[in-house]
Amino acid sequence: MLTKLTGGKVYDPANKIDGQIRDIYIRDGRIVERPLEHEPVNQEYNLSGKIVMAGAIDMHTHIGGGKVNIARMLLPEDHRGDPVAHTELCRAGCGHVAPSTLTTGYRYAEMGYTAGFEPAVLPINARQAHLEMGDTPIIDKGGYAMLGSDDLLLRMMAAKRDQNAINDYVAWTMHASQAMGIKVVNAGGISAFKFNQRFLDLDEQNSHYQVTPREVLNTLSRAVYELGVPHPLHVHGNNLGVPGNVETTLNTMAGVEGYPIHLTHIQFHSYGTEGDRKFSSGAARIAEAINQRKNVSADVGQILFGQTVTASGDNMSQFRNAHLGSPHKWVCMDIECDAGCGVVPFKYKDQNFVNALQWAIGLEIFLLVDDPWRIFLTTDHPNGAPFTSYPHLIKLLMDKTFRNDVFSRISPDAQAMSTLASIDREYSLYEIAIMTRAGAAKLVGLHDRGHLGAGAGADITVYTDQPDREAMFAKPDYVFKDGELVVKDGQVVKVTWGATHTVKPEFDRGIEKEIKKYFDAYHTVNMEHVKVTDQHIADDGRGRVQVHECKGRREKTTA
Amino acid sequence: MSALTFTLKTQPKQSVDMSPITPDLLADKSLAEIQAIPLQCGNQQLRADALFEITGSDSSQLVIHSSEKLNYLGAKLGLKLKSGNLTIHGNTGAYLGLQMKSGAITLHGNAEAFAACEMAGGLLHVHGNVGDFLGGALPGNRKGMRGGTVIITGNAGDRAGDQMRRGMILIEGNVGSYCASRMLAGTIGVMGKMGVYLGFGMRRGTLLLFNSPALSPTIQDCGSHTLPFLKLMFKSMRGLPSKFAQLENNRVRRFAGDAAVDGKGEILVFGE
Repeated sequence: MLTKLTGGKVYDPANKIDGQIRDIYIRDGRIVERPLEHEPVNQEYNLSGKIVMAGAIDMHTHIGGGKVNIARMLLPEDHRGDPVAHTELCRAGCGHVAPSTLTTGYRYAEMGYTAGFEPAVLPINARQAHLEMGDTPIIDKGGYAMLGSDDLLLRMMAAKRDQNAINDYVAWTMHASQAMGIKVVNAGGISAFKFNQRFLDLDEQNSHYQVTPREVLNTLSRAVYELGVPHPLHVHGNNLGVPGNVETTLNTMAGVEGYPIHLTHIQFHSYGTEGDRKFSSGAARIAEAINQRKNVSADVGQILFGQTVTASGDNMSQFRNAHLGSPHKWVCMDIECDAGCGVVPFKYKDQNFVNALQWAIGLEIFLLVDDPWRIFLTTDHPNGAPFTSYPHLIKLLMDKTFRNDVFSRISPDAQAMSTLASIDREYSLYEIAIMTRAGAAKLVGLHDRGHLGAGAGADITVYTDQPDREAMFAKPDYVFKDGELVVKDGQVVKVTWGATHTVKPEFDRGIEKEIKKYFDAYHTVNMEHVKVTDQHIADDGRGRVQVHECKGRREKTTA
Repeated sequence: MSALTFTLKTQPKQSVDMSPITPDLLADKSLAEIQAIPLQCGNQQLRADALFEITGSDSSQLVIHSSEKLNYLGAKLGLKLKSGNLTIHGNTGAYLGLQMKSGAITLHGNAEAFAACEMAGGLLHVHGNVGDFLGGALPGNRKGMRGGTVIITGNAGDRAGDQMRRGMILIEGNVGSYCASRMLAGTIGVMGKMGVYLGFGMRRGTLLLFNSPALSPTIQDCGSHTLPFLKLMFKSMRGLPSKFAQLENNRVRRFAGDAAVDGKGEILVFGE
C-alpha cells in the first residue's frame, strides 16, 4: 500500500528542509523515496497550504511508573473533575494533571505527539512502568533507568571498583529495565536522605557511603559514554528549587570532564539569590554556559500557571517543599531501598512572586540558548504543567506580543527581576521542529524518528498554518503513526499501539554473579524476576520492543 | 401552583444519576425543557420523561417517587438558590444529598451508602434507615460533612460520621460499627445501640449516646459530670422534628479519645 501526502509545506530540520513544498510517500509504515511513475498510489492526501512535520517527541514526561500512580491516587478530585467518556473508538478515562494511561495516549496523539519518554524508570519498578506505558495507546514510549542513588552502585563506588565493572552493571541495568538511557536524580541525594541528610551539594559526601554527587555524575556519565549509549546521562541536578542552585548547576556542567550530559528541567536549577527576596533568575548564566559547552544539552521544565502535581524521585527536595503543596497533602516514600519518590500537588500562581519568576526564568532560558538542537521543550509533565499545555508554551515562544502581554500581568515584583520583556527572539517553525522533533530524536538516539527522510518511521503531523500558534498546535489536521492515520481534525480516528524503544549495550555477563549475590543478600525479589524481557512487553500483542543502535563499547577513555 | 412531581414509570434496570433534578437546576426551566433533560442511566443517556411521569409546576417544592436505583438525589441542593425543598417517597440509592448546601430534603423510605456525603448545610430528614458512610467524604477526600443537620429516624450503617468536620447528625435508631471513625469535629447523637470500634481514630467532636458503648483502650473514662453547655445544645435542638428536641438531663458520663490520634473527642453517655 502506497500513500502519498501531496504538496505540504515541510519542516524537516534533520534533512535541512525549511518550509519547502514536498511530496511524501509512505509504504508499509515507512517513509520511502519517490516511487517509479507507473506505481499506483493507493491513497492520497492533498496537503497544499498545510504544515508538515514529523510526529513530535516528548523526551521527558512522567507517564508511567510508581509515582504517577501515586499522584493519581493522591488526587481523586483531579480525576472526578475531568472525566472523559468513552467513544466508539476510545475507552473512558479521566484526569487533567495525572491522566489515566489511555487518556494520556489519546491526548498526546491528538496534539500531534507520537512518542514520549518516561524519565524515571526505577530498575526495581521497571515492570510497573512498562506495564503502564504498555497501556498507553498510539504513541511510542521508552524510559531512562534511574541510577545514582542505587544501593549497589554506591556500594561499588565506595569500594572503589574499576570503571569497567560499573559499566557492566550500568549496561546490565539497561537490559533488565528495557531502558533507552540512564537517569540520575539528585545524585546520591536520595540515598543520603535516608541517612538524615537534608541537603547535598555537589562535593558533599553521602554520610554513609562517603561518595559525592560529583563522583556519581562522573562515573555514570563516563559509563554511558563508554557503553556507546546514544542518549547522554540524563541529569536531574542536586538542590532542585533551592535559591542559589545556579552555582550547583554550573559546577555540574563543568564537573563531568567533558562527557556528554543532558540537564533536565533546568529551570528548577537556575535560581540565584539576588534581590530583596533572595530569589533571582540565573537564566542568563545558565544559557551562556550551555552555549559554550557543546557536551551539555538541557530541557527546560517550564512551569505554567494553574493546578498541577509534582512527582519526582527526588524525595529530598520533595520533602523540603511538601509544606508548599496545594491542596495540602503529600507523599514521600522509599522504594525498595533503591530510590525514593515524592508527590506534592502544586498550584502555580501568576501573582506569586516565586512562581511568576519561575515562569519567566524558564522562558528566558528558552530564548537565551542559541542552539535549538540542545534545548528541549518540556514542562516536565506533570511537574511544571500537564503536557496538554504545550501548545500554549509554543505560542509563548513564537509570539513576542503574546508573551509580553502575559508577562505584563504577572507579579510586578517578579517582572522587575526578569529581563524577559527585553528579549526579542521569536522561535520559528523550523526551530520548533528542531526542538520537538529532530533534536529530540537525535538526543534520545532514535535513528528512524523525528525526521521525514526515506527510511524513517512514518510518524507525521499535519497542521494548518494559523497566526494563533496555540490553536494551530493544539489541533493538528492529520496525525500519522507508522503510516496509519490515527488523528483527524484533532480527534482520534484509529487506535494503534506504539513500540517501546530501548538500547542494549554490550557487557560482560560475568557481572551477574555479583549482582545476584547482592540481590540474594538484600533484595525482596529474585534478580531473575526483576528483568523485563522483550516477551513481557510484547506479551499481549499490543507492544513491541525496538532496539536502537549503540555506538559500540569504547575502550577505557582514561586509566 | 402544585409541586413539580416526578414519578417513575417503570423500575430502571440500571442506576440513574439524578443530580440534574434539583430545585436549583430546574428553577427557570419550562416543562418541555425539564422533560428533555438527559439522565445518565447505566451506560446510556435517557430523557427525563422516558423514565418519569412529570406533573405539576412548582420546582421549589420538588417531589420524587423514587427507587433504590436513583443515586445522587438532591446533590448540591441549595448551591445556587438559597432554598428549595425536595420530598422523596420510596427508597433511594447512594449519595443522597451529596454536597447539599441549604434547603431541605425529606425522605420517606431508606437510603443507601453515602447519604449526606460532604453536606455543607440545610436539613436532611430521613424517615427510615441509611447505609454506610452517613455524612462521610467522597472516596479519597479527607473531609466529610461540614455543616447542616441530618435526622435519621431509623438506623444507620457502618462508619456513620466518618471524617465528619462540622454539623450535626442525630440518629434515633441504631448505628453499625466504626461510628464517628476519623471524626474531625461536629456532633453525632445515637439513641439506639452502637456497633464495635466506636470513635476509632476520632480526633475531635462530640458523641451523644444513650447506651453504654464498648470502647477501645485508647478512649478513656473521665467520670460523671453535669455539663452546663449541654443545656445550650439542647436549646439549639428544640425546634428540630426529632426526639432529640425533648432532651433535658445534662448529667453524663464522659469519655475522651481517641488517644491514638489527637484524643480531643468526647463521648457523652446519658443515664449513667
